[in-house]
Amino acid sequence: MKNKRFSNFFYDYIQPILTNKKSLIGLIIFSFFILMATIGPLVVPLNMNSNFAERYQKPSLKHPFGTDYFGVDIFQQIVHGSRSVISLTLLASLFAVIIGTIFGVARGYIEGIAGKILDAIITVFLVIPSFPALLILAAIFTNAKLNAVEIALLVAIWLWAPLAKQISAQVLTVKSKEFIEASRMLNMGLGYILFSDIAKLLIPYIFINFVTQIKSAMEFSIGLMFLGLAKFDPTHWGIMLNYALYQAGALYTPKGFHYPFFIILNIVLLIYGGILLAQGIEEVFNPKLRGHE
Amino acid sequence: MKYIVDRLVYLFVVLIIAISGVFVLVNKMPGDPAYGLAVSIAQQRNMQMDQALEIAHKIMGIDPHESLIVRYFRFISNLFKGNFGYSAFYQTSVNEIIAKSLPWTLFVISLATFVSFLVGIFMGSFAAQKRGTVIDLIISTISSIIQAVPPFVLAVLILFIFAVRLRVLPIGGAYPVDVEPSFSLQFILKVLHHAIGPMFATAIPQMAAWTLAMRGNTSQVMEEDYIRFAQARGLKDSVIANKYIKNNAMLPLVASLAISIGYMLGGHTLVESIFNYPGIGFYFGKAIAVRDFGLLTGLFSLIVIGVIIATFIAEIIYALIDPRVKLK
Repeated sequence: MKNKRFSNFFYDYIQPILTNKKSLIGLIIFSFFILMATIGPLVVPLNMNSNFAERYQKPSLKHPFGTDYFGVDIFQQIVHGSRSVISLTLLASLFAVIIGTIFGVARGYIEGIAGKILDAIITVFLVIPSFPALLILAAIFTNAKLNAVEIALLVAIWLWAPLAKQISAQVLTVKSKEFIEASRMLNMGLGYILFSDIAKLLIPYIFINFVTQIKSAMEFSIGLMFLGLAKFDPTHWGIMLNYALYQAGALYTPKGFHYPFFIILNIVLLIYGGILLAQGIEEVFNPKLRGHE
Repeated sequence: MKYIVDRLVYLFVVLIIAISGVFVLVNKMPGDPAYGLAVSIAQQRNMQMDQALEIAHKIMGIDPHESLIVRYFRFISNLFKGNFGYSAFYQTSVNEIIAKSLPWTLFVISLATFVSFLVGIFMGSFAAQKRGTVIDLIISTISSIIQAVPPFVLAVLILFIFAVRLRVLPIGGAYPVDVEPSFSLQFILKVLHHAIGPMFATAIPQMAAWTLAMRGNTSQVMEEDYIRFAQARGLKDSVIANKYIKNNAMLPLVASLAISIGYMLGGHTLVESIFNYPGIGFYFGKAIAVRDFGLLTGLFSLIVIGVIIATFIAEIIYALIDPRVKLK
């Protein structure tokens, strides 16, 4: 039984991702960075001591990405920073999915004035330009030392609304379908209806949104760090970029070009992996594109 | 008509909720919002701190003994009268800052919208018609890669490459400091020259988004039965491509034009800060950096109002151009 369930899961979710070209490439890029984040710091030691004899060294065998203003190896910092970049991103995306699902299902189920209010709240978060709002929030909390979970929550607040909208629409249409009625007639209890009948329909939406939010979550968290509005791990790529451009002024010295370049390269590559994965997964799982119903 | 009124009321409620949320957040902050202004007054006029605080409160229109609710209603009623508040950092009304910065932002955003929409529509339909070829692959790959570059990183790159290294673009301002604003051709050229950097930093990501959207829409329309019918009628390929495919694929995009302008209003913040371009976003960034919460609330309210108006316009346009959506 358990085995069959696993093979179903494989054929339903894993195989389609592996056969779609986009999601496969995206997955490879993403796995590469996840490997970097999990195993990397164990293999590559981080030496943050400044070494002025070796500042702004060009990329070489000894320093694959060269060295920064203080002569610290950039590759080491990138590897160690990937851990906080990826964990922040995944956490923020996860929170956004949880908030969005709760709000969406609630909106779909609750009728009357309370439902209208929920709807207005969702629209507020849909309409408000998220980046400026995030900046205001960050500016307010800037003196409080936030940990990873809190920063992820701060980012997630501006990501959940589209999912809530989609889910509430789904729940609204599904609610009156025959098989839900059937479950209700059979006295199946709200819990069963919610988690067994409706959840099955919502999983593709939740899954797609989780992946598409990775891009914005990454952009937002790196943007926050880049502006110096959230203090965190000094090897977080956003903070590294802030440091390279504003503290060390690497743009203004010809020797320092590789410093921001490798940081930007890694940021763009990681986000690109996320986008490809999201596009592929959307092609595979979007109930509309697949012609469900 | 009833539909329009309904939507207006609804969006108005959304606007009030959004602005109230920001107001409460900002005012729940520990500390006195007038403190910063008071410090500078005390230094300038050589005064005692509590005296300076009193003056600061008067200037900013704050009564420290007032409750939050009274202050909130004052803020909202001021907003309806068109008064966006007071900036402690610039020591002037937010309205004045808006008056001198909003034109620049609107100028750059409309340029960026125009350029990105035209290029995106062209590239998107071109790629869709060459679907499956190398050209299509190149266009769509480049568009997705551009989408992976965060806008602020793109702005930094443009600033670095074209202003710092190649020195073909200025590194800040809306026009050179030593030139008096006038309506001469020379001045207009200077203004355009200064707008190029921020304009492209905003337009390029949009361009990629329009290209991908147009490509998707075009390929969808090309599958439609009426296109096959048009081919069967023996219409020229060029007529089908321009009259039948392009128009129908563009329809949904025209409606989202307004939304994209609203989106850019928000996303433009960092770009202007990076280019030191004196628009709304620049002052917004400044307000965040110096924690000027009066200016912050005022500018944010303005941005939200702009976005909501854009959303409303988008809904109306959509109903007008698509006969299937009726204004109920």
